[in-house]
Amino acid sequence: MARLRLVAVTLVLAVAAAHPAQAVAQRLDAQDVLVGWNQLILELVRHTPTYSPPVASRAFAYLGVTAYETVASGDDSLVTLAGQLNDLDPLPTRARHMAYDEAILLHAAMSFGANAFFGNTGPTGQRAMDAMDSRTATMLAEEVDPEIVARSMALGTAIGEHILQWSLNDGGAIIENLGFPYDFETVEDPALWVPTSRVAVQQAPLLPGWGHNRPFAMPENNSCALPPPPTFSEVPGSAFYVEAMEVHDAVVNLTDEQEAIARFWSDDPMLSPTPPGHWIFLTLDALESKDADLVETADVLARLGVVLADAFIGCWEAKYQYNLVRPVTYLNRLVDPAWQPILITPPFPEYPSGHSTQSGAAAGMLEAHFGENFAFSDRTHQDDGLAVRHYSGFWEAAEEAAVSRLYGGIHFRSAIEQGLEQGICIAGFTNALITRSRS
Amino acid sequence: MMRLILGLSLLAAPALAEEPTIPRFEDVTTRAGIDSVFWGEWEYMVGGGVAVFDCDGNRKPDMVLAGGTAAAKFYRNTSALGGALSFAETTSGLEMEAVTGAYPLDIDSDGMMDVVLLRVGENQLMRGLGDCRFEAANADWGFDGGDGWSTAFAATWEDGQSWPTLAIGNYVDRNEPMMPWGSCTENWLHRPGETQFGAPIPLTPSYCALSMLFTDWNRSGTPSLRVSNDREYYKGGQEQLWRIEAGSAPELYGPEDGWQRLRIWGMGIAGHDLNSDGYPEYFLTSMADNKLQVLSNIPEGGAPLPVYADLAYARGVTAHRPYTGGEIKPSTAWHAQFEDVNNDALADLFVAKGNVWEMPDFALLDPNNLLLQRADGTFLEAGEVAGVASLLTARGAALADFNLDGLMDLVVVNRHANAQLWQNVSEDAGNWLAVSPQQPGSNRDAIGGWIEVRTGDLTQRREVTSGGGHVSGVMGFSHFGLDDAQDAEIRVLWPDGAEGDWQPAEAGGFYSLGRDVPLARWVPDAN
Repeated sequence: MARLRLVAVTLVLAVAAAHPAQAVAQRLDAQDVLVGWNQLILELVRHTPTYSPPVASRAFAYLGVTAYETVASGDDSLVTLAGQLNDLDPLPTRARHMAYDEAILLHAAMSFGANAFFGNTGPTGQRAMDAMDSRTATMLAEEVDPEIVARSMALGTAIGEHILQWSLNDGGAIIENLGFPYDFETVEDPALWVPTSRVAVQQAPLLPGWGHNRPFAMPENNSCALPPPPTFSEVPGSAFYVEAMEVHDAVVNLTDEQEAIARFWSDDPMLSPTPPGHWIFLTLDALESKDADLVETADVLARLGVVLADAFIGCWEAKYQYNLVRPVTYLNRLVDPAWQPILITPPFPEYPSGHSTQSGAAAGMLEAHFGENFAFSDRTHQDDGLAVRHYSGFWEAAEEAAVSRLYGGIHFRSAIEQGLEQGICIAGFTNALITRSRS
Repeated sequence: MMRLILGLSLLAAPALAEEPTIPRFEDVTTRAGIDSVFWGEWEYMVGGGVAVFDCDGNRKPDMVLAGGTAAAKFYRNTSALGGALSFAETTSGLEMEAVTGAYPLDIDSDGMMDVVLLRVGENQLMRGLGDCRFEAANADWGFDGGDGWSTAFAATWEDGQSWPTLAIGNYVDRNEPMMPWGSCTENWLHRPGETQFGAPIPLTPSYCALSMLFTDWNRSGTPSLRVSNDREYYKGGQEQLWRIEAGSAPELYGPEDGWQRLRIWGMGIAGHDLNSDGYPEYFLTSMADNKLQVLSNIPEGGAPLPVYADLAYARGVTAHRPYTGGEIKPSTAWHAQFEDVNNDALADLFVAKGNVWEMPDFALLDPNNLLLQRADGTFLEAGEVAGVASLLTARGAALADFNLDGLMDLVVVNRHANAQLWQNVSEDAGNWLAVSPQQPGSNRDAIGGWIEVRTGDLTQRREVTSGGGHVSGVMGFSHFGLDDAQDAEIRVLWPDGAEGDWQPAEAGGFYSLGRDVPLARWVPDAN
């Protein structure tokens, strides 16, 4: 669905480059601009080396709010998030009685934001952003009063700049060494996380300070704190041992369907749009399938970005509070030295499951908007050769994403179940945001 | 042999075996007359190779360096035997633009080296005419050069064929500016027909190959095609191993064969039997951590599955970040090549390093690695102390003995900067010998064969290949360090499976080894 719109956008831009006169007849609207930039952002997330899942969630939040506030600046049905999101001050506004072009304005804001948040992407990403930027701008400016073009570009850029400045002191703006501390010492405690790969840069855990970042809609980083995981034990029959054996047995006895689920939600950084990007992708499809308009699209993407970002902050706060050992470490030492998960064990502590928290949060927010029984198809990984999966609702997808980590052999059940619970809690704060005017 | 003990700052993590002799390299680029830059923007962000081979009969390696948007440059080797390296840029016919990489290969088996030019646009087979003159031969040889962005090459002689099979790897669709991700173009397998090359066979799925190597990984007698792919651009891709059987369609190894999915920014392949078990190990270059793949679980009767353990971390060859130059961001690795640079009978590893293109999350000042193998199989980083830790933006490279003094020299192609040439001027290196197998008829250089050199209990093995590295290749003598040994035995396992006899050889010699003929020592002309 969203892919069809993207293809259309790309084709139009290609035609615009080659035949400007023809392109005028197919002028992109603001909705095209918003979807087009989001699709490019999904690729940039995949291809920018610093974009681990937490970092990706942060970009989705800021860019979602950028688009939302840009649309809201000219639509009285939307309520600004300034004053609702932590430390977000009132944004630049439109000049009274002056005309703006909605598509140009949105393009300017998204272009500024994308270049700001992906300024460190590689040469191909830079080339793609340049192409999107120049072609879209050229096409949109056709037959529009230059003064309106300039005014719209200026305001869009100002909104983007405002959001960028808001982002800079949240604790997550600077990512060094791909997010891995340069120095890290493991603690001699079998209950605690130790590196699980032989990749040199992953001998330290990913982004240990991410849980201290400023949240968006959550009042505090630990507003959705979790109970501790089962008490660590190496004793057969203990709750911890039982959970570990459940992971062991799940991998050993994996069915084809379970393996398909594990791989579908694997969402590895640099090889996919990451877990938060997965939810952005399927939501773009869902919006397209219900013919959502610009206002609804901007509203949903902003709130989804916010809830995903808060989910990673809350989850990471808990991960480094408990610093729990991964299944592969425990099982190799105590049960079977040869046992291996089918997924790559992520390089950070186990509890809670990040995919579970963020999927629970996303589903909690999306259900509040679309309803409990909004059936949809998930085509996120179609280009990578994975089959489309179908769901009767967002919660079903979230539960599947969560349990996929058990099938994949990288999480215990408690991390999954408590992750989903934490996600629901976090979604509550996003769902309390007021985006629509009551008038 | 004298051993140097390095300061602690130079020790790699898994250290503590006896430290290897540190070779000494001297940058002789300017003095030797090398002035070649690999230019170009997006379509030349990868590539930049060099082909090293002799084309004037004196067996001193000459070379052609890719120039990207500039013309390639050919340099005739004018070095005196054992003297200072010296080259003269001369017109050869290889001076084409849009060249990304080059490999030497005697395609028509006429005894005169030909050259494969990989290009942005039509690839060119260049027929050697003798005395370092070349002419385009695509039309005469029925070779379809295509119109791609070619970035990998490998060659083999399939059973029963008098002409080689060429594999060419292609990169992304260069005409796709908006969404190039997922646009990997088809790799090609050019098999010989009756009199000319046939139409290229697509090696699909293709995943943006940056290195290819025909290699007999399981010692079955039939090389397979390893392909290292850049995960930046593929979707649903991975590293690949193709089963290439004469008369059959290419077939990918899959999970049912034991092949395990690996997804890296694959940029270069170097193979070598490091542990003398008869099977090659493979070093795969990437961004951040690199891989050293060692075959797991070799059954007593052979016929292993293609299951590899990554021992890069354990052996100290992750080479994942700079060790000098002031930066500690992750590295970007390209060409890799195993050679014994200190002649201690242990293969060492050179890795060319350089940022892709102003990627701020990766080191911009990224020194090349020279990793010296210790007796316990771990490696010591010696790039800086040996003198090859250039901070320019390296891509392709080649190690070769340019002045025939028994020491491996080094040439590196840099993007947007002059290529560099280092002369190995080590004074305390071990003994050595060099071997060139030659067979009559087709495949004169015995590609697909193995050279074995035995000293005492140690048998060193080198597979004769054409391909791998990063768009760079060498053809000529194969070099073996002998440490303290004064003599050795040599034999060749020929591509058709025939085993040559062990023949005695003295250290310090160049040897031509033919089929069923006595070993012949070749003595270089002093001039």
